[in-house]
Amino acid sequence: MRGGTTIETVRRPRAGLLGALPALLGLLLAPAARAQDVVHRWAPNPPASSYGERFDHLFALITMLIGVSFAIVLVLLVVPVIRDRARPGHKASFDHGSSLHDKRFTAIVSVVVFVVLDAWVLWVTMKDLREGYWNIPRPDVPDVLRVELLAQQWSWNFRTPGSDGQFGTADDIVTLNELTVPQDRPVVINESSKDVIHSLYVPDMRVKRDANPGSINELWFQPVKSGDFQILCAELCGYAHYQMQGKLHVLPQEQYDAWQTEASRIALAAWDENDAEARWAWEFKE
Amino acid sequence: MSATATCPPAETTRHRVDVAFGMAIFIGAWSMAFLTLFLSFLIIRHRQPQWPPPGVMLPSLGLAAAGTAVLLASSVALHAALRRLRAGARGFSARWAAGLLLALVFAGLQTALWTGTWRAGAYPDSGIYEGLFYMLTWFHGAHVACGLVALLWVAGAAARAGAPRLSTASSVAVFWHFVDALWLVLFVGFFLV
Amino acid sequence: MSGDHIHPRPTSFLRRYVFSTDHKVIAKQFMWMGFVWLFVGGVMAMMIRWQLAHPGVPVPLVGKLFYPRSSGAVPPDGYNTLFTMHGTIMIFLGLTPLMIGAFGNFCIPLMIGARDMIFPTLNMLSFWTLVPGALVGLFSLFVPLGAAEGGWTAYPTLSSTIGTPGTGETMWAISVFLIGASSIMGGINYITTTVRLRAPGMTWGRLPLTVWGLFFTSILNVLFLPVIGSAMILMVLDRAFGTSFFVPATIAHGGGGDPILYQHLFWIFGHPEVYILILPAWGFVGDLLSFFARKPAFGYKVTVGAMAAVTILSAVVYGHHMFTTGMTAMLGESFMLLTMIISVPGEILFFNWLHTLWRGNLRLTSSMLFAMGVIFVFGLGGLTGIYLATISTDIYLHDTYFVVGHFHLTMAASALFGTFAACYFWFPKMYGKVLSERLGKLHFWTTIIPLTIVFCTMFVSGYGGMPRRYYDHTGNPYTAELQWLNDITTVAAFVLGAAQLLFAWNVIKTVAGKRTAAQNPWEVGTLEWTVPSPPPHHNFDSIPLVVTGPHEFSNPAIRDGKDWIYQTEPLAS
Repeated sequence: MRGGTTIETVRRPRAGLLGALPALLGLLLAPAARAQDVVHRWAPNPPASSYGERFDHLFALITMLIGVSFAIVLVLLVVPVIRDRARPGHKASFDHGSSLHDKRFTAIVSVVVFVVLDAWVLWVTMKDLREGYWNIPRPDVPDVLRVELLAQQWSWNFRTPGSDGQFGTADDIVTLNELTVPQDRPVVINESSKDVIHSLYVPDMRVKRDANPGSINELWFQPVKSGDFQILCAELCGYAHYQMQGKLHVLPQEQYDAWQTEASRIALAAWDENDAEARWAWEFKE
Repeated sequence: MSATATCPPAETTRHRVDVAFGMAIFIGAWSMAFLTLFLSFLIIRHRQPQWPPPGVMLPSLGLAAAGTAVLLASSVALHAALRRLRAGARGFSARWAAGLLLALVFAGLQTALWTGTWRAGAYPDSGIYEGLFYMLTWFHGAHVACGLVALLWVAGAAARAGAPRLSTASSVAVFWHFVDALWLVLFVGFFLV
Repeated sequence: MSGDHIHPRPTSFLRRYVFSTDHKVIAKQFMWMGFVWLFVGGVMAMMIRWQLAHPGVPVPLVGKLFYPRSSGAVPPDGYNTLFTMHGTIMIFLGLTPLMIGAFGNFCIPLMIGARDMIFPTLNMLSFWTLVPGALVGLFSLFVPLGAAEGGWTAYPTLSSTIGTPGTGETMWAISVFLIGASSIMGGINYITTTVRLRAPGMTWGRLPLTVWGLFFTSILNVLFLPVIGSAMILMVLDRAFGTSFFVPATIAHGGGGDPILYQHLFWIFGHPEVYILILPAWGFVGDLLSFFARKPAFGYKVTVGAMAAVTILSAVVYGHHMFTTGMTAMLGESFMLLTMIISVPGEILFFNWLHTLWRGNLRLTSSMLFAMGVIFVFGLGGLTGIYLATISTDIYLHDTYFVVGHFHLTMAASALFGTFAACYFWFPKMYGKVLSERLGKLHFWTTIIPLTIVFCTMFVSGYGGMPRRYYDHTGNPYTAELQWLNDITTVAAFVLGAAQLLFAWNVIKTVAGKRTAAQNPWEVGTLEWTVPSPPPHHNFDSIPLVVTGPHEFSNPAIRDGKDWIYQTEPLAS
C-alpha cells in the first residue's frame, strides 16, 4: 500500500477460501435440477392485440439505443483501466475540463444524447399513445364491446351488458375471473374496485390499468387472435394478491355469438330482483 | 482563546445569524408539512359534492374568530418584547409575559372550540368535514403546545438571568409568529371560505 | 462552536459515547446502526429469494424461529411483510443512516475546516430520534396481527384499516415519521454548517464534491421529508381515529377522500427520496475518481450544476410512478417529458466521470473499484429507466420485476457501492486503521458479478411479464414458465449475500485490530487528511486557511515531485 501504511502480510490461501465460500454456499442452496416439463420462457408471448406490437417494437428500439450507449460506457471504463493504470514513470494528464471548448463539447454531447435516447423515443411513444393506447373508441363506433370490471379481494367480476346494451339490466352477463370477448372487435373496459386498489394486467394484450375504489378508469384493446390469455393482478392487494388470476377468452365472432346467446339465457334465468349486491353496475363512463 | 474560556461564550452577531439561518430552514421544512396538509384539505374538500356537507355541525365561528384576534395580539406583544430586548432588555419581561398570557388564552379558546364540537357529537370519524376540522386544528394545536413550552422556557430564562439570549428569544418568537400565520391561513381557509 | 473556540473534551461515559455531541462519534453511531440494519434487511432479502425459488418450503436455519405456525415456511402475509420491511429498512434504516448520517456527519465538518457541526446538540438529537423510530419499526414485527404488509409504498386503501387491520401498519407509519424527523434535523444542521462554517478560503468553488452531494441531499431532505411526514399523519388519523382522508366516499360514511391523493403525496416525497439516496454517492464518486485517477474532477462546475439541476427537477417528475393510475393524457405526457429531461444532467455526470478517468494515472484500490462500480451499475440501471419513463412501455412493465431490477441497480447498488467506496476510503481517518485491500478487492468482485446477474435476470423476468410482490409464481401457467429465472436470481442472490460477509469480516477484524494507518494513506489533499488519523476531539488545532482546490492532482505547478497538494498549500505561481 502506498503512502506510508505498513505492508500487509500476504495470506493468500485464507483469502482464496473466503472467496470460494460464497460460491459454495450458493451451490449448496441451489435447487435440484427441475424436470423439463415447463416451458422456459424469457420473453412475452407474441402480442395478441391490435396495438400490442407497438410495445415490442419500441422495446426493441430502446434496447438497441441503450445497448449501444452502455457499450460505449463500458469501453470508456475499460480502456483507462488497461491503458492508464498507475505504474512507475506514468503520469496523469492535468485537465480540469473547465475550458470553453470542454463546456461546448459537453453541451453538444448532451443535446445529441437527448435527441437520440430521449427525443426519438418520445416521438415514437407519443404516436403509439395517441394512435393506440389512448385512442379509446368513441361511443358512436359500432361493434364496441363494453365491459364493466369490479375488482375485489381476490377476484375479478366482469359484466357485459347483454343484447339490450344497457348495464344493470336482467340480461347482463356477469362472470367471475373470466372474460369472454369476440375477436377483432374493440373491447372498452370501465374498471373500479370494491375494496383496495387492484390492477388489471393482460400481458399478451400488452395492457394494464389500475382498478381504484371510488373511481372509474378506462382501458381498451382489440384482440387480433383467438385463444385463452392470462389475466394477472398488478397492484399489491393483500396476502392473496398472487392468486388473483383470471382468463381472457377470445372467441371468433360466430362462436362468441353462440356463447353470448347461451350466457344471456342463463343470466335472465338467474336474475334475482332482490339481490341488490348482484346489481353492482354503474352508468358506463365513455 | 484557551480551552478554559467560558462555555458557551457570550453571544456574537455571527452566532445570531447562524441560529437565524437554521430557524429559516426549520420554518421552511415545517411550511412544507403544513402545505401538504392544507392542500390535501383543499383537494378533499373540492371533491365533496357540497361544502359544508348537509347536516354537519359547524364549529363555533365566534370562538375561532376570538382566537384569531387573541393570537394576533400575542404575536404583537412578543414582537414588542423583542424590540425591548434588542434595545437593552428593559420592559422585555412584561411584554413577553403578556404574549405568553395571550397565548394561554388562545389555547383556552381552542380547547373550548373542541369541547363544543365534541359535546355536540362531532368526532373525527363522524364524517369527512369533522375529520378535516380535527386534523387541521390538532396539527396546529400540537405546535401551539410546543410553542407554549418554548415561551415558558424563555420566560424562565428571563426570570433567572434577567434577560434571555437574543437568538433564543428571537427564534421562539419567530416560531410563534409562524404558528400565528398558520392559524390565519387555517381560519380563512376552513372557517371563512 | 464558531470561531476559534475549543471546547474541552467531555469526561463521562454517557457524554463521550452515548449522548455525544461530537460529530465524529455521532457518525460512528449512525454507521453501526446502518450496518446492523443493512444486515437485517439483507437477511429479509435472502428469505424473500428463498420463498420465490422454493415456494412453501421451510426456510433453512431461521424458518422455524420466525414462522413456527407454518412449520418454518414463509406464509403469504409474512411474505408481504418481508418485502415491506426489507424496503423500509434498507432505505430508512440502512442507507440513510450510513450515507447521510455517518458520512455526512463525519465528512462535512472535517472537509470544510470546522471543529464540529454548527448545532451539535441538534446533531445528537437527530441520532436519538432515529433510535425510537427504529425501535417502533422493530417492535411492529411482533404485534399480534402482524407487521406492515402494504409494501414500503403503503398505498391505501390496502394500508387503511380496510386492507390491513391491526397496529402493525400504524406503527410502521409512526416509525417512518420519527425517522423522517431525524433526517430533517440532520438536514438543517448540514445546510447551515456548510453555509456558515466553511474555513477561510474554502469558497463554494473549492468544496469537495462529497460536500456538494450531501448539501443537495440535505436540501431535498428538509423540503420533502415533511411531505411524507404529513402523509403519515393523515394515514395514522385514518387508521387510529377513523377519518377518511384516503378512503373514498363509496366506502367511507359521511363523505370520503381519495386514495390516489396518497399516491401523489407519497411520490412527491418518494421521487426526491431516491435522489436523496443517490446524491451523496454521486458526490463520493466525483471526488474518489479524481483522487484515485490522480487527475482533477473533470468539469467540476458543470458537475455541481448537474447535481443542482437534478435537485431542482426532482419533485416535478414524480408522476412516472403513477402512469397506470388513470391520470389524464396531458398530465402523463408532462411527467414523461420532465422525466426524460431530468436524465440529461445524469448523463452529463457520466460524461464528466468518464472524462476524469481518461488519461489518468489509475490507482485501483478497493475504494476506486467501488467508485467505478457505481458508473457500471448506475449506467445499467439508469439506462433501463428509459423503458419506464416511456409511458407505452411502462404500461406493460409497471409492477413487474423489470421495475425491481431498475430501482435496485440505480438506488440500492449505486448507493451501496458509493457507501462501500466511502467506507474503504474514510475508514483510516475514522479509526486510524486501513481496511484490508485484499479482502476489499475480493469483496468488490464477489459482489458486482452476482449483483449484475441478480438484477439483469429481473429485467428478463419483467420483460416476460412476471409481476412483483407475488408470494408464488408457480400457481398460474403464465408465470410458471418464468420460474426458472427465479432459480437463477436466487442462487446469485445467495452468493451476493454471502459476499457481504467478507466486508463484515473486514470491518470487524480491522476495528478490533492494532494496525495504525498513516495520517494520509491515500495522498489526497482535502482538509480531513491534514489532521491525524483519527482526528482529535477538536479536529483542527487552528482553523485552516484554504488556498487551493480539492482536485489539483498532477498539476505541473506542484513542487517536490508530488502529484498532489493539500488544500492549505499554495500552488507555485
